[in-house]
Amino acid sequence: MARVTKEERKNGIISAALELFSENGFYITTIPDIAKKVGMSVGNFYNYFSSKDILAKELIMYISEYLGKNIRAINESDANTQEKIEQIVSMYFDTAKQRPEMIEYFLRVYLSNREVFKDGCEGMICVSPFITEMMIFFENGVASGELHDQDFFSAFGLFMGYLGGMVFLYGEKILPEPLDDYKQSISENIYNALKTRT
Amino acid sequence: MITKTILEQIEGEASLYFDMKEDVVDFVTIAFPHFRGMEKMLEGKSALDALVITPRVCGICGHSHLLASVRAIEDAYKNSGFAIAVTKKASKVRELTLILELVQNHFKWIYLVLVPHLKELSGSEELLNTPLKGAYGASLATKILAIFAGQWPHSSYMIPGGITSDFTYVDLTKAKSHLQKLTEYFETETLGVSVEEFLSFESCKDFVSLESDFAKIERLLIDLGMQKKGHAKDAFLSIGIHEFSYAAKVKGTRLFKIAAKYVQTQEAYTPDEKSYAKNALYKNQFYETGPLARCMAKEFKLIKNMHRRFKDSAYTRVMARIYETAYLLTFCKKLLTEIDINESSCVESVSLKNISGIGEGVVEAPRGPLIHRVQIKEGIIKSYKIITPTQYNIASSTKENPSPAQQAMMNCSQADAKFIFRTFDVCSVCTTH
Amino acid sequence: MHLKQEHKLKIFWLQGLTCNGNAHSFLNLDYLGELLEKIEFVHHPLLPSKYSLTEMVKCKTSCDILIFEGAYDPSLKRADVFVDKILRHYAKNAKYIIAVGTCASFGGIFKATSPKTNSGILFNEAEKNGPLQEYNAKIINLSGCPVHPEWLGFTLNMIIDRHKIVLDEEHRPQELYSSLVHHGCTRNEYFEWKVDADDFGQKEGCLFYKKGCRAPMTHGSCNTILWNGVNSKTRSGTPCFGCTESDFPRANLFETKTNMSIPADAPVGVPKRAYLTLTGIAKTFHIKRLEEPLIDYKNNT
Repeated sequence: MARVTKEERKNGIISAALELFSENGFYITTIPDIAKKVGMSVGNFYNYFSSKDILAKELIMYISEYLGKNIRAINESDANTQEKIEQIVSMYFDTAKQRPEMIEYFLRVYLSNREVFKDGCEGMICVSPFITEMMIFFENGVASGELHDQDFFSAFGLFMGYLGGMVFLYGEKILPEPLDDYKQSISENIYNALKTRT
Repeated sequence: MITKTILEQIEGEASLYFDMKEDVVDFVTIAFPHFRGMEKMLEGKSALDALVITPRVCGICGHSHLLASVRAIEDAYKNSGFAIAVTKKASKVRELTLILELVQNHFKWIYLVLVPHLKELSGSEELLNTPLKGAYGASLATKILAIFAGQWPHSSYMIPGGITSDFTYVDLTKAKSHLQKLTEYFETETLGVSVEEFLSFESCKDFVSLESDFAKIERLLIDLGMQKKGHAKDAFLSIGIHEFSYAAKVKGTRLFKIAAKYVQTQEAYTPDEKSYAKNALYKNQFYETGPLARCMAKEFKLIKNMHRRFKDSAYTRVMARIYETAYLLTFCKKLLTEIDINESSCVESVSLKNISGIGEGVVEAPRGPLIHRVQIKEGIIKSYKIITPTQYNIASSTKENPSPAQQAMMNCSQADAKFIFRTFDVCSVCTTH
Repeated sequence: MHLKQEHKLKIFWLQGLTCNGNAHSFLNLDYLGELLEKIEFVHHPLLPSKYSLTEMVKCKTSCDILIFEGAYDPSLKRADVFVDKILRHYAKNAKYIIAVGTCASFGGIFKATSPKTNSGILFNEAEKNGPLQEYNAKIINLSGCPVHPEWLGFTLNMIIDRHKIVLDEEHRPQELYSSLVHHGCTRNEYFEWKVDADDFGQKEGCLFYKKGCRAPMTHGSCNTILWNGVNSKTRSGTPCFGCTESDFPRANLFETKTNMSIPADAPVGVPKRAYLTLTGIAKTFHIKRLEEPLIDYKNNT
């Protein structure tokens, strides 16, 4: 059996931590809980993350980079703005399905426990890769004449608030249909709300 | 027989068509050959863009265009129901930089236009050609201007509500010091006497003891008989509202009320060549504008004395421009002491999108009144009209009703006429915009 | 070493469609007298010269340096001769052709007089298809509206001293145009921390985000070689209008174009992603000192 790399171990911790934090909550989950789930000693755990708060911040940056990378690929593609909206919605919902602990962490830990993140994750600096890609998406959309020019936060709130809300409902098992079934109508609603008005 | 002469060094060129009768100018028409379509260029643009474009009408008096533009826009604000009350500080600084542009202009005119052509006409060897004096004086005047306006030429520091610059006492101190240096330069190099003393002169007799460029210029003008030549309409306009000037229509020495709305333009009469300049008239009559007009409106003793003896001769016209330079330098000194740092540089105003209406801005530019008339719709320029001072002085009309310059050149030799033409300080680029 | 014995470079200052702003700006040169000792103006529109324009347009002489000010307009005549003809005659034998001002360099403001026909002498806005392409190798563009006198003084002195002038792709001397107008602006710290000026008339605040300042996108040295030896547009609270660039004048000059609150243009060579990342971080932090007036005139300590 090949030796596991440090990188892989780190990712293992990340996955485990995300799962535990979203299942049981941030404060209830302890370092020993996470270390046990990963199968390493607590001492060794601290070699990767020196405190729970630092772990919490690195997790949000990890998620942000993951989403940012995917949106960047969509931004750099040849698709038009309407298609890009569909792709972003699809990517986000797929992430919610395949790696639910990531979106769950964002909604239930990051957004809900602000006190954990107030030192070192002020404002939006820890979600910067994700926010930057959304800015580029919006800027390109207006520059190409497909989206109506408006305040960034009005548009961002509409797009992300909508997606976050849908994933929250999905997580609570309130949605009657599979998440995939909502992709088309939600993409249309977002596009119709943001597109250029004649 | 009509001969054509092209005159250069007037911020461009002009074609003068002289009709000579036995070596004397019987009549002359003036055509300006170039056109840049600046009024049309402004249509469809945001009104604030005029603050960048109109200074480019002219390289020597662009700052006057800036003030006329901002006044026109602020007038449109008022007519739309959103009047702006610019602070005293902003108003005084605008006035100060305007005056410095006039000073810069006059320095250049004296040493780059007057002296060389006076020398040529008179053959004098005593009067030396010293163009660098003009360049230096002008550069120092514009340096002071730039302390407040950022740069010269082509500043756009005046905006609706006031000015962009938030200067300090450090800047004021520097400005005062440079102004002192400039004034002393003018006194030493040009006048030969202090400005205070010069401004206190009441008659030409007071010049007798002077030894200076000014004294040489004055004597040469008399030698050439310029006090008996170059008479125009003996009627003057000073329209811009400023602290340093007095707005009035002057006929001889009688002052009358004046209103910019009576200024209109008409096609020039130039049968020999198409001219891109339009004539400017006040209530359908020709009037002279510029330093002499402003001095007459202010009723300065020395100029009134000259006028009593020599009316609006070429001599009086030249003397008035030099006199105005001295007057403006002292006025600048006064203005600098009145500027209160603590006032705001720019007051708030509503967004330009709310502005729909007409506006007019009038300014006393170096050569006389400069008028900008704008029509704005929701912040966008629908039409823009510019009337420059050279359009009054160097209008081209018929023999029966000549313009100031035409009248001044008639019944002289052609050499004299060309010199007299230049005493009006002609700006070809402004006139044709 | 007396230069009077050596051949003084003969310079012809020819004007196209212009406001004369560059000629007047040149007169503000600090060391004008010294420079005039080293060169001879065969013709200049303001300074005393050997020949009048009327004589120059007979095209019977030549010059070492041809300075062209103003937009190229094929229909324009000066002293009754087409400027195109005068230009081509003197361009042939001149060792250098200097386009002073943005109109002569790219078309500038007076391209708009006749957009289909007017341009700079080598460039037509950003395209290199002006009338004097055959003299591409000897054309120097000193763009700016107007040109700064020291930029022209520098160029002439370099030629007199036989130094090679390194040019950029738009034929502008790199020593003058490789920096951005942004370099040296007194408001740089406000740019760094994204403290934007909401209104005009204050020495505090950056003019980039809300007031249309093009300095981070404009090549020039206005904030290092100060105007009139004392100041600059941005130091005095006026936004830079990008007057050295081929797209001058743009529209809505006092506003910053944004798309969904994001500036349409980032500083030269800075990727949008990089700019937005840094801006996002800067905007997160509030530096108290930068959000207060610099000077407290009421402080009585």
